[in-house]
Amino acid sequence: MVNSGKKASVATVIGNKALKKRFGRLTIQFTGEAAGRFLQVMPGQFVQISLSEAALPNPERISSDLADSAQRQILLRRPFSFCDVTVDRPNCVQVEVLYCVLGPATLRITTLSKGDKISIIGPLGNGFSIPPGKKYALLVAGGMGAPPLRHLATFIRANKPKMRLFAFAGAKSLDDLPFTVEGPKSESPVIPEFSGAGTRLHIATDDGSAGFCGLVTQYMEKWLDESKIPPEDIIVFSCGPEPMLAEVARLSEKYGIDCQVSMERMMACGIGLCQSCAVECKGGTKGETVYKLCCKDGPVFNGREVVFESR
Amino acid sequence: MKADRVDLSVDFTGIRLKNPVVTASGTCGYADELSEYMNVDKLGGLITKSITLKPRKGNPVPRIVETDAGMLNAIGLANIGLERFIKEKLPIIKELKVPLFVNVAGEKISDYVAVAERLATEEAISGIELNISCPNVKEGGITFGTEPKQVEKITKQVKKASGDKPLIVKLTPTVTDIAVTAQAAVGAGADALSLVNTFTAMVIDIESRRPYLANRTGGLSGPAIKPIAVYLVNKVYNEVAKSAGVPILGGGGIRTASDAIEFIIAGATVVAVGTATFIEPDAAVQIIEGMKKYCVRKNVSRVGDLVGNLKD
Ligand SMILES: Cc1cc2nc3c(=O)[nH]c(=O)nc-3n(C[C@H](O)[C@H](O)[C@H](O)COP(=O)(O)OP(=O)(O)OC[C@H]3O[C@@H](n4cnc5c(N)ncnc54)[C@H](O)[C@@H]3O)c2cc1C
Ligand SMILES: Cc1cc2nc3c(=O)[nH]c(=O)nc-3n(C[C@H](O)[C@H](O)[C@H](O)COP(=O)(O)O)c2cc1C
Ligand code: FES
Repeated sequence: MVNSGKKASVATVIGNKALKKRFGRLTIQFTGEAAGRFLQVMPGQFVQISLSEAALPNPERISSDLADSAQRQILLRRPFSFCDVTVDRPNCVQVEVLYCVLGPATLRITTLSKGDKISIIGPLGNGFSIPPGKKYALLVAGGMGAPPLRHLATFIRANKPKMRLFAFAGAKSLDDLPFTVEGPKSESPVIPEFSGAGTRLHIATDDGSAGFCGLVTQYMEKWLDESKIPPEDIIVFSCGPEPMLAEVARLSEKYGIDCQVSMERMMACGIGLCQSCAVECKGGTKGETVYKLCCKDGPVFNGREVVFESR
Repeated sequence: MKADRVDLSVDFTGIRLKNPVVTASGTCGYADELSEYMNVDKLGGLITKSITLKPRKGNPVPRIVETDAGMLNAIGLANIGLERFIKEKLPIIKELKVPLFVNVAGEKISDYVAVAERLATEEAISGIELNISCPNVKEGGITFGTEPKQVEKITKQVKKASGDKPLIVKLTPTVTDIAVTAQAAVGAGADALSLVNTFTAMVIDIESRRPYLANRTGGLSGPAIKPIAVYLVNKVYNEVAKSAGVPILGGGGIRTASDAIEFIIAGATVVAVGTATFIEPDAAVQIIEGMKKYCVRKNVSRVGDLVGNLKD
């Protein structure tokens, strides 16, 4: 019972690169005992990062729509999942976080630089799990849901080499995809990050600025309609905005495919103390629902279990 | 003064706590979650999430939102209910060497009474904290805590139901004069007073022009409320607790040992750490360490000597 081994650990920043628009990639390193916790990490798990001590960017580097946000103090840690985890040696692990600058905490991430120390709790929660017997994985990402699916693609490549991957990512427009896209206007644009993970990414944009013009779920439905693969051989993994997850879950159910969704909630603690991160799930008895915790029971849930928010 | 000579232990409602730092209700789960992150046996005590007679699902999301130096929560007393608490959580808690206080909430006085009666039979429980100050539920909660007559009535009945367990009454700061409700609780037999619970507050999303929280309002906690909480503890100490000889469990926004010591000087015998635990799960343990250092530096041999020791 007295097992206080999971407390916050210190990570060292080894890189922080601004990508296009509001996106950036932070690479951090864990050594020693903290690194050990990442050896068994599953894609979809997350960490709670403390950013209250990081500096704000210079005012001239803050876009005008975030000027008010920059005035806000931050108190709580922020949850982030991983885009990649590499084990250098058993006692040295590198974790890559892809971030999107949206408010006071993510503004502060941008100023972290090599050698900085940050406090991190994790890895936390339950990530994706790969059920035995599945031959095909369908990865469906919306916006900032792409990073953990990129991690999952690499993971499947390394651990289930026989499994075939089909990856889809959607965004409002090309600019809102957190990756560099080569040949965006072509029928099949290429995203190097995913090619590196051994899979081609099918892109959908609402405005047609890259790949399929329309919602990623429409693209997914089109693919399912044309697919000759038996549904029981497929597993869908999805991460993105809740309305998109709801549609992915609905389509999966319609086609008789198993589906896992990674949910997002405002989190105060991330470790099961506060009950702030409730996800409504179908309960045992008819019609009843229960609240599960996104941070402890999730963030990855069975798509059939979740009662999606309509707000 | 040497560090090992400092006596951090305090007497609280007849129970000896090894130090005056407890984790606040609703911020440390049912103890088992927190014990993965720190050695909870180091705490002076631990207060569980509010327990109600029947399980409660709690409010829809969003249940929290961050504000400058604080946060709003409207969890809505989500909890597993009395029976599951006793069956699933108590056996785990019994293994801990930390005094456990169970926080009780309800919609009707009879609910509170039923829960207290059942808890009173459990040896592993050191005391009961009566939550009549939750701002986030429609019935019960805060409505029992704002009317002095109601405070008196519920305190009297739950005190009787609690048998020989000490009863701590947790007050809301959302009243005109907290000394009045404090007096009502003490008059009805409260063994200790707990203050403050969160302040009713609101955040509006200006894009959608809707309240941010699904519950519209929530309770403000964290550093933002600390100076008000210190003031209220001092007021209750001076006007009620000191003369009645009833100890105060004080808190609201405590993050550091300095914060905790402020509360003790204001009149709290024990301090509760809440929101800070979300940021640093072992915040309470760090506070205990810091408290010891303060005593060494100021040549205080017993932390109990600081209680209410505010100079003019
Ligand atoms: C399990 C999990 C994994 C995540 N992984 C990533 C990731 O890999 N990369 C990344 O960039 N972001 C990720 N996020 C979201 C990230 O935590 C938030 O964007 C971040 O906290 C924003 O903080 P801020 O202070 O910059 O902005 P804030 O001002 O706090 O928020 C900006 C906007 O984002 C919304 N928001 C903030 N936090 C959340 C949340 N937890 N759930 C839903 N909406 C939220 C707010 O309502 C607001 O509209 C993840 C969230 C969760 C729960
Ligand atoms: C997320 C959250 C949940 C809480 N739940 C309860 C509860 O169930 N019962 C209760 O009496 N107080 C509850 N509280 C109030 C705290 O116990 C404490 O009184 C308050 O937060 C002020 O202290 P702090 O600023 O240190 O957090 C809760 C507070 C928070 C932030
Ligand atoms: S974030 Fe606190 S319980 Fe999930």
